[in-house]
Amino acid sequence: MTFETNLPAEFLSQSAASAPDWAAVYAEQLPRVYNFFRYRLRDDALAEDLTATTFEKAWRSRESYRRDLAGFATWLLAIARNVATDHLRGRRVHAPLEEAEEVRASGTPEDDNARESDGERLRALLAQLPDRERELISLKYGAGATNRAIAKLTGLSESNVGTIVHRVVEALRRDW
Amino acid sequence: MNDQFLNSLRRDPAPAFARQLKSRLQALDAPAVAERRSPMWRWLATAASVVALSFAFTLPAVRSAAEAFLDYFRVVNFAGVAFDPQRMAQLWSSASIDLSTLIGQQVTPAAPPAPPVAYSTLDEASAAAGIRLRTPTWLPQGFTLTSIEVGAEHDFSVRGDTAKVQTVLDALGITDITVPHELDGETVTIQVPPVARLVYDDGQHQVTLTQARSPVIAFPAGVDVATIAEIGLRLLGLERAEAYRFAQSIDWRSTLLVPVPAAAATFHQVEVQSGTGLVIESGQVREGLGGRGGSLVLWSNADMVYALGGPVRSTDTLQMAQSVQ
Repeated sequence: MTFETNLPAEFLSQSAASAPDWAAVYAEQLPRVYNFFRYRLRDDALAEDLTATTFEKAWRSRESYRRDLAGFATWLLAIARNVATDHLRGRRVHAPLEEAEEVRASGTPEDDNARESDGERLRALLAQLPDRERELISLKYGAGATNRAIAKLTGLSESNVGTIVHRVVEALRRDW
Repeated sequence: MNDQFLNSLRRDPAPAFARQLKSRLQALDAPAVAERRSPMWRWLATAASVVALSFAFTLPAVRSAAEAFLDYFRVVNFAGVAFDPQRMAQLWSSASIDLSTLIGQQVTPAAPPAPPVAYSTLDEASAAAGIRLRTPTWLPQGFTLTSIEVGAEHDFSVRGDTAKVQTVLDALGITDITVPHELDGETVTIQVPPVARLVYDDGQHQVTLTQARSPVIAFPAGVDVATIAEIGLRLLGLERAEAYRFAQSIDWRSTLLVPVPAAAATFHQVEVQSGTGLVIESGQVREGLGGRGGSLVLWSNADMVYALGGPVRSTDTLQMAQSVQ
């Protein structure tokens, strides 16, 4: 199943002029956005906060989205990307010490224990990736976006997305 | 490629979180309606619409009739003109004129254009608009881009009717000015170019950046544009001497006039990206966000015209405008 065909059938079948079933859209898209933030950031509580911010922004503008309901997921992820970027930019400017603490803490015994689960192991590996690569992995595996959708969102070519994702996955698999 | 391990971080959102967020979203609709009803912001939105409408006048369709026109108008500068809405209302209340019908009879077709179309990415929207959309590199804290729309290109034509304009002036008791006869019977086809609208949202307020190709209006040869402008100013309720002085002092071939209600808002010219822009701000914007007013910055740059406004202070809209690239 691809990213955009995961949208509910009743949602996709509606014409642009009719009122979408926002409850169905919400139920379908919430896990994608939430997991995008889980992959993108280190903090589950923060993932919830930024997911809420994303949906609030999208909710206020939802009536303006009339063109292509299948592209709604891409539009929502575009908002999520902006929210993440805004958050990360704010942290770099306002909380350099906090970030430094996080880096130092990555090798502590507490963290080693936390990585016992596969999810935490993966999160630790993702934390070591450059920002762009982590974002691509977050879109691909967190949000379940297709390479085409990621290309639309990031401005990269579809083949470039595929190449980068493949390279990063191989590197992660070696360290897994 | 074995990538199953990369799914190990996926989790469903906690049911309690999903329920709470859904409730918050449903509760959002009420304050949004309240904000839309803010009188000052409604005016600012109208002002932005007027500017957007002025984007309608563009070159390609006019070029098709180039032989019939000699004088061209292109927006390079914006100028504000204060008017008194009460005085204007008094002026118009004394005349039994159905202006919308009067104007409607001169416009073909009268049907409104198709609603704007939303796009997921700037690249898609740029392709649809036929221009490279520009975005601010600086945003007020908490604002992110949430909506990209492009209004469809469409055409309409306006036929000049000196007698009807004169009827309006007579009904308003304005008898000391003559409508230029060169406009009579002339039909101007106007092609509305794509107008892009980018919405930035902080969860409570929205700031909108509107952009389009610079408008170009063509007038029949020999028309006294200053006199037409003077008529427009009189219809806004300006006194004769004031309207005349203003009309004669403006370079109408490069300046777009923006009416501003005197008691409700202030305006001043500013430098935006090496050009002259106009800032309009209501007097009701309180410290921080949440006031009932707003601000609007208008400027042009490299054949493009921009309007950036929302319920935020002018320092914010101006800083956003300066960072657009």
